[in-house]
Amino acid sequence: MRRISVFGGRELTLLVACLLVAVAASAASPFFATVDNLSTVLRNSVELMIIGLGMTLLLAMGGIDVSIGMVLGLAALAVGTLVAAGERPFLPILAGPAVGALLGLLSGAVVVLGGIPAIVATLGLLGVYRAAIFLLLGGRWLSGLPPTLTNVLSLNLLGAPVATIVIAAIYLAAWLALRHTPYGPHLLAIGNGEEKARLSGIAVRRVRIATFVVSGLLAGVAAVFYVSTYRNVAMTIGGNIALEAIAAAVLGGSSITGGSCSLLGTALGVILIRLLQNGLVLVGVPSLWQTVVTGALLLLVLNGEELRRRLSVSRLFWRPS
Amino acid sequence: MSVSATIARQPILAVLALLWLIVVAGLIIVAPETLHAYTMTTVLQFSTILALVALGQSLVILCGGAGIDLSVGGAMSLTAVLAALASKGGAPGWTLPALCLLIGALLGALNGLLVTRVRILPLITTLGTFYLYSGLAVAVTGGAAIGRAPAWMIGWGRGQLGAIPLPFLTTALPAFAIAAVFLGATAWGRWIYAMGFNEASARLCGVPVDRARMLVYAISGACAGTAALVSLSWLGSARPNIGANLELTSLAAAMLGGIAIFGGRGGVVGVLAAVILLVTLQTGLLQLNVNATWQVGVVGLLLILVLLVDHVASRRA
Amino acid sequence: MSTLRKKLAFAAAVLAFAAGPALAQEKSVAFVPEIVGIPYFNAMQDGGNKAAKDLGVKFIYSGPVDTNPVDQLQIVQNLINQGVNAIAVSVLDASSIAPVVQAAKAKGSILFTSDSDAPNSGRAVFVAQATDEGLGDTIIDEMVKRVGDNVKIGIVSGEATASNLNAWIGVMQKRAKEKYPKLTLLPPQFAGGTAERAAQLATDLITANPDLKGLIAVASTTCPGVAQAIEGAGKIGKVIGTGYCSPNTVRSYLKSGAMGYSVLWDPTALGYLTVWAGKQLIDGKPFAASNQVPGFAKPVTYDDKTKILLLGDPKIFTKENVDQFNF
Repeated sequence: MRRISVFGGRELTLLVACLLVAVAASAASPFFATVDNLSTVLRNSVELMIIGLGMTLLLAMGGIDVSIGMVLGLAALAVGTLVAAGERPFLPILAGPAVGALLGLLSGAVVVLGGIPAIVATLGLLGVYRAAIFLLLGGRWLSGLPPTLTNVLSLNLLGAPVATIVIAAIYLAAWLALRHTPYGPHLLAIGNGEEKARLSGIAVRRVRIATFVVSGLLAGVAAVFYVSTYRNVAMTIGGNIALEAIAAAVLGGSSITGGSCSLLGTALGVILIRLLQNGLVLVGVPSLWQTVVTGALLLLVLNGEELRRRLSVSRLFWRPS
Repeated sequence: MSVSATIARQPILAVLALLWLIVVAGLIIVAPETLHAYTMTTVLQFSTILALVALGQSLVILCGGAGIDLSVGGAMSLTAVLAALASKGGAPGWTLPALCLLIGALLGALNGLLVTRVRILPLITTLGTFYLYSGLAVAVTGGAAIGRAPAWMIGWGRGQLGAIPLPFLTTALPAFAIAAVFLGATAWGRWIYAMGFNEASARLCGVPVDRARMLVYAISGACAGTAALVSLSWLGSARPNIGANLELTSLAAAMLGGIAIFGGRGGVVGVLAAVILLVTLQTGLLQLNVNATWQVGVVGLLLILVLLVDHVASRRA
Repeated sequence: MSTLRKKLAFAAAVLAFAAGPALAQEKSVAFVPEIVGIPYFNAMQDGGNKAAKDLGVKFIYSGPVDTNPVDQLQIVQNLINQGVNAIAVSVLDASSIAPVVQAAKAKGSILFTSDSDAPNSGRAVFVAQATDEGLGDTIIDEMVKRVGDNVKIGIVSGEATASNLNAWIGVMQKRAKEKYPKLTLLPPQFAGGTAERAAQLATDLITANPDLKGLIAVASTTCPGVAQAIEGAGKIGKVIGTGYCSPNTVRSYLKSGAMGYSVLWDPTALGYLTVWAGKQLIDGKPFAASNQVPGFAKPVTYDDKTKILLLGDPKIFTKENVDQFNF
């Protein structure tokens, strides 16, 4: 069984797909293949890349979190409030991940200790978190925030933007953790069968809760970048990022039943989605067609692969014991 | 069947009934003027679409294989739009009901095909078709409401028999009755439970798993199609985003109604009860002029609490 | 179970018939926005509250969490059931409010529209912030004043399904065609509700059209995103941003120059006027061609043919005057 893929068939497929989109888009629009535009695409991928990584880890252990967009929203609310209050960058940059991690802990506790399947529990939490965003914002958007964070996070360090360095660092850290610490094998073992994992002496509950905390923490990091870039927090924040993250991870080759994942695949999946959205606008396709294309893409890529592969559908989400 | 025996078999029904009683009693105490027949009419009217869609969703989950249908809302929107386009293109008004059912069933069958033949997991298949269907519905119309339902359809869509809205009486109620009988008293029903409970052994026993699953996805599509018909007749035109948010709301209703997410356990009566509980709760909060924001949170909390109770109860048992 | 539920339902029904609706002593006016939780409608709520205090009526503000017409319908239906005397709706979808118009008539509630209309639905009056023509024309005229008429301008809207936003876009396109034939209006892009998506679309439009001179944010939810995109692309001064944005939302962007101007009316005054109109309707007082509303400097005009009560001309906010406003 494929477990932690580094560069296999799926990654190649995605790379080819990205190149195809790029070739087609640059043939149709002279503005596509420019440094400015491509860096915009990368810029627009930052939050989804970070959240996609957390989702990949969750999927690897057979979990899922459909409320992650609201975790981003609540963390962004904390970050935005601190920025609006004139705090220096240090505090907001810490507050985002802290709030994210706390909410991740809450989600993890409800799923793991409450014994509720992840998709249902996070669906319920989606409603609770969303109401919290509404009530905390109270209809007054945080808008036109001072560029406290922007000044720090749009800097270049060693020739690369801070966002790139942060993303590279967390992907590397995740890869190291999966490959070179017991966390990786434990995570996948749980994804392959929780009962078996428990019997082989893995602290199943601890690993599961920890993964939810990590995913929440990452959403908090994404929130810091969100506030830094968009400088506003409105009540619709994070509305569709959870489904996009799932789509990117699955495109990237993570199995939704757990037991396998690909970090590079997720990153390529995110880039493919964003490239396509950007290319369509540049070519002049009305944005109304973008969801249609996203759906078709998801089905096409998976059709191609899954046709060859029979899979066992013994598990989808957490089967509480 | 005696009340106690049924409740013993499905404890979730007792929980739901109790919650419903609490909501109703609370409402009556706080706002006695809401105690009126038209409150019930309103609750049922706004339950119809959710009930139909949640029924399809529940059947898909029941038959297992990690079954889930995220495309129900998209299928409903696209069905309404396509049917309205067909009637604009010259299809006579009386064909609309059949058209809605047919289009819905076809959209559902596409999900079934991808799940059973191509073997893409349902969550991903229907996430793809959710984007596809809801995107198409908005893209082909450019976002505007289209079409005009014939007068007789509007008469039905807004009509009442006593205090009961006609669409609820003639679509949701019969659909649930048929589904309950189908699940409880036919071979197909037993097959669905069997394959939901343990697919491998169901296959060994000769259950036509793939055919049954294909059929269930088509039925879910047909339910969404019926909901589209109800919306057409009620609102008078087809809205490209009429099914928005239904994928998650219907899932919540199914879970709340006691359908196990892994399939093979639960019944549709509980789902109908859950839908009515949800809409009664919404109505109650609206009658008290509570900020709509709270509803979102309360429904989420309710979902978590009911499943927690269920978890604790099943541990004791 | 089924017997138990039947019994419960029966008991509830019997009680229900026995009680009947309580007669509200105080007259009540309700306003149902398209969505709750956005500054624009919050300002209307503030205006409504003030009017309710001045005029001695009860004011109810209740709206959906998503821009979903069925949710809105459910809220209106429940207000009708409560016996609210006059209900104003900012209509999400003109075609789908027909069922509640009937229901309101049957229960004796007066249904009217405010902010977003449903013509031909049988509503009593439409309290308009400005005419669709006034809004669409003003934003195009002001843009041409700043960048000339031989230019390319992009449009970023919110939900493709919002009928009032689409009407404004239609007027803009008509104005461009009739008055400024050299002006190129790009086809509208729809961002849905999120500021993030609006920023992405606006950035892509700027990239795809290097000769772009202006960007119009049609939905108030897209205002911050569009302004942020202009700042982020380093196009301040080269691309002029605008939109139907409240001063508080775009204050910092007007000052930075990312937004050249913003067109809007005073939503607080619109909220006030809505409740005032509701009170008039309840009292059975007809509207005159010109009405004195307490607290309004100018009289409010009423067109008996279209049944539209008009707040006045839209205001234009710029760097210079934005600090005089707080909504």
